[in-house]
Amino acid sequence: MITYVVRRLLVAIPTLVGVATVVFSLLRLLPGDPAVVIAGPQATAADVNRIRHQLGLTQPIWQQYLGFMGRLAHGDLGISIRTGASVLEEIFARAPFTAVLAFTSLLIAITIGVTAGVIASTRRNTGTDLGISGGAVFGASMPTYWLGLMLIIVFAVHLRVLPAAGSDRGPISLVLPAITLALFSTGLIARQTRSAMLEVLGQDFVRTARAKGAARTAVLIRHALRNALLPIVTVIGLQFGTLLGGAVLTESIFGWPGVGRLLVDSIGSRDYPVVQGVVLLLSVSFIAINLITDLMYAYIDPRIRYS
Amino acid sequence: MRTKERLITALALACLAVAACGTGGGQQNTSGPKHGGTLNVAIGIDPDTLDPAAQTTTTASQIVDMMAETLVTIDTKGALKPLLATKWEPSSDGLSWVFTLRQNIKFSDGTPFNAQAVKFSIDRLLSPSTFRAQPGILGGKTGIDHVDAVDDSHVKFTLKTPLAPFAAALSQTQAAIISPASVNVAPNKPTQIFQPVGTGPYKFGERLAGDHITMTINKDYWGTKPNYDSQIYKVVPEAASREALVKSGGADVMVLPPANDIPALQSDSSLKVILGPSDRTIQIIINTVDTTQPLLQKPEVRQALNYAVDKTAIISKVMFGAAVPLDAPMSKSLFGYCPVGSSYNYDPAKAKSMLAAAGASGMSVKLVSPTGRYVQDIQVSNAVAGYLRDAGLKVDGPATTDWPTYLGTYVNVPPAQSRIDLSLLGWAPPYLDAQQQFEQFYSARVPPNGLETSYYKNPQVDALIEKANAGTDPAQRQKDYCTAAKTVWNDAPWIFLYNQRFPFVTTAKISNVVGLPNEKFVTTWASPA
Repeated sequence: MITYVVRRLLVAIPTLVGVATVVFSLLRLLPGDPAVVIAGPQATAADVNRIRHQLGLTQPIWQQYLGFMGRLAHGDLGISIRTGASVLEEIFARAPFTAVLAFTSLLIAITIGVTAGVIASTRRNTGTDLGISGGAVFGASMPTYWLGLMLIIVFAVHLRVLPAAGSDRGPISLVLPAITLALFSTGLIARQTRSAMLEVLGQDFVRTARAKGAARTAVLIRHALRNALLPIVTVIGLQFGTLLGGAVLTESIFGWPGVGRLLVDSIGSRDYPVVQGVVLLLSVSFIAINLITDLMYAYIDPRIRYS
Repeated sequence: MRTKERLITALALACLAVAACGTGGGQQNTSGPKHGGTLNVAIGIDPDTLDPAAQTTTTASQIVDMMAETLVTIDTKGALKPLLATKWEPSSDGLSWVFTLRQNIKFSDGTPFNAQAVKFSIDRLLSPSTFRAQPGILGGKTGIDHVDAVDDSHVKFTLKTPLAPFAAALSQTQAAIISPASVNVAPNKPTQIFQPVGTGPYKFGERLAGDHITMTINKDYWGTKPNYDSQIYKVVPEAASREALVKSGGADVMVLPPANDIPALQSDSSLKVILGPSDRTIQIIINTVDTTQPLLQKPEVRQALNYAVDKTAIISKVMFGAAVPLDAPMSKSLFGYCPVGSSYNYDPAKAKSMLAAAGASGMSVKLVSPTGRYVQDIQVSNAVAGYLRDAGLKVDGPATTDWPTYLGTYVNVPPAQSRIDLSLLGWAPPYLDAQQQFEQFYSARVPPNGLETSYYKNPQVDALIEKANAGTDPAQRQKDYCTAAKTVWNDAPWIFLYNQRFPFVTTAKISNVVGLPNEKFVTTWASPA
């Protein structure tokens, strides 16, 4: 098991080098010169050149690349072009906000999605099933943007029970963005849970469990759900990525100061070092989540062994 | 029977609760204090830097203005007025300026304000080691040569070449005066300032990047004290969310509501919509030198394009009234403005006949436009494309990109590399002098030396601009700019669209939020109504 984890972590290194290289190249292929963007319309050519020099953009690309990779090896992501602060500082100031938002959303999505999926599977082809499945499709297909604004209008403008935007009112500020972000994943998890459960519920061991007189909930949770978990956990693992991506939009709508908005602002000003840093951070999270998901498999299904 | 009673009681309680919630936030606070409290302002962008020397955006500059003051400033009409300087005088050759400073003022950290502090701040603006410094016209080959502290209360600026609007140029936030001691107090560094310390009515409080900036009152401020103890500028990038924040009581002031909501907001009695002044002109830049489009090199074709577009309809239907028509190639608030007479009133028949006479009927043009950079920019470009098609042109576009791409691909491009015929651009002089507007018609500013993207070159206009920029007699400068403006208007290197206005919204409970012609909406002196 430990050998497996170490091997996976070692494999992650070339992956991250690859990601760093691709991000670095993609950014340089984008049209738009950060020095020109920063300098603004009234800047003289001399201003632009001075800024370009300060930002280290006068060096040849290969030199910039080697410098970037060299600093990266020491854990230094450089200085933000937009704000002049260290990239690590910028990211660490914002990452907790995205993490809190994504985990809360995931928690909502898992709780509601799995529960709804289990209920739907036990009441197959009834009105309840139809309602849940319809709701799941609705949730998975609503644009975040529209849904977020609708929730703001209802709960902040009309009912005035929740803040419209910002992060200054503690946990209550988190309610609307977390629900908005969770809806898509909730729908997907509910659908996956329903179909996985249906498959398991028709199998012999469930009938055996029922036959030996096990309680209804025990059959559902201990026998059926436990065996249906593998595909559900896979979807949840994948959803985490979707949540981090969806956070970009949600954070903009709700003025939530997370890394998603940092990424948007940074792309908008061609802030190469920050974009590189955020993408690397997201890649690390992806790799970590995938690893955790894989390890979960072994926990859920003792037949799976990693060596 | 009993259950029914209970149900009714419960319903009644629920109704009460809803009613309490519904009215709670909407009640007018009639007995509110005149002083104290917090003003919440929702802005659309996260300020990149609070270093005065590195300012490029009006929103960030406006925040810095509350903490650090300049020697001179502008009033609501755009006229210069004293701030940290009480008077100023150029030498007869226009090469040096002496400013007399206000006495007995301290920075908010207790450091005395004097001529040395002015010299320190301006030297810092001009220093190549200051991170991302933006001296603009104040620096470079033609700007300030050196600054001398004559005595405690007099500063002398020596210029490399005469610049008539020099005092106006010092009204820009980049030239704000900061406490020399503050640059060595962490997190500030001499090369970079994160928490500005100036003489302003507010002091830096705290900042959460991407979320908010809090400023607290400077109790020792030398001038009129502000009403609010603190002001919080909240960053909410989405316009519809900002609007919801103001409607729900989460903010008192918001910048730039969604344009199509302006009429509805105007009819809401709990809000005030202010169409603030702006010196920003919005235009379709015509590539006047494209060898593959010789027709666009003819002034009469460019004039025809101006007649083909219904500016009045665009202002009322696409801009929802947040603009005024142009009658000169600049906004009315600039020194040097004069109405140039013939305005290109919408006349499709005339446009068609002029195009036919020039052999340009049915010509093809490529149009590009930014999205989200200016109020309703892409929507306006679509309307312009429609009018040009009505005039018989084949319009390819409007294609659109994000701003950095736009700037790099279409705007900051030398003529030989330009691939487009028409592009929408806004131009807002940072200080209110025609000198800054004529950067758009001055051939020395063709990219990469500026953003004169029409590549328009008229030696007479160039000569008039150079003369007026350096002139010392205001009346003569006014005359020269006026003559140049008339020529530019007739040569039509642009489709002249409109002078944008800068919409912002306050709740009806707030008064005295004032728009300046440089697109700042000053909340400093806001007071509960």
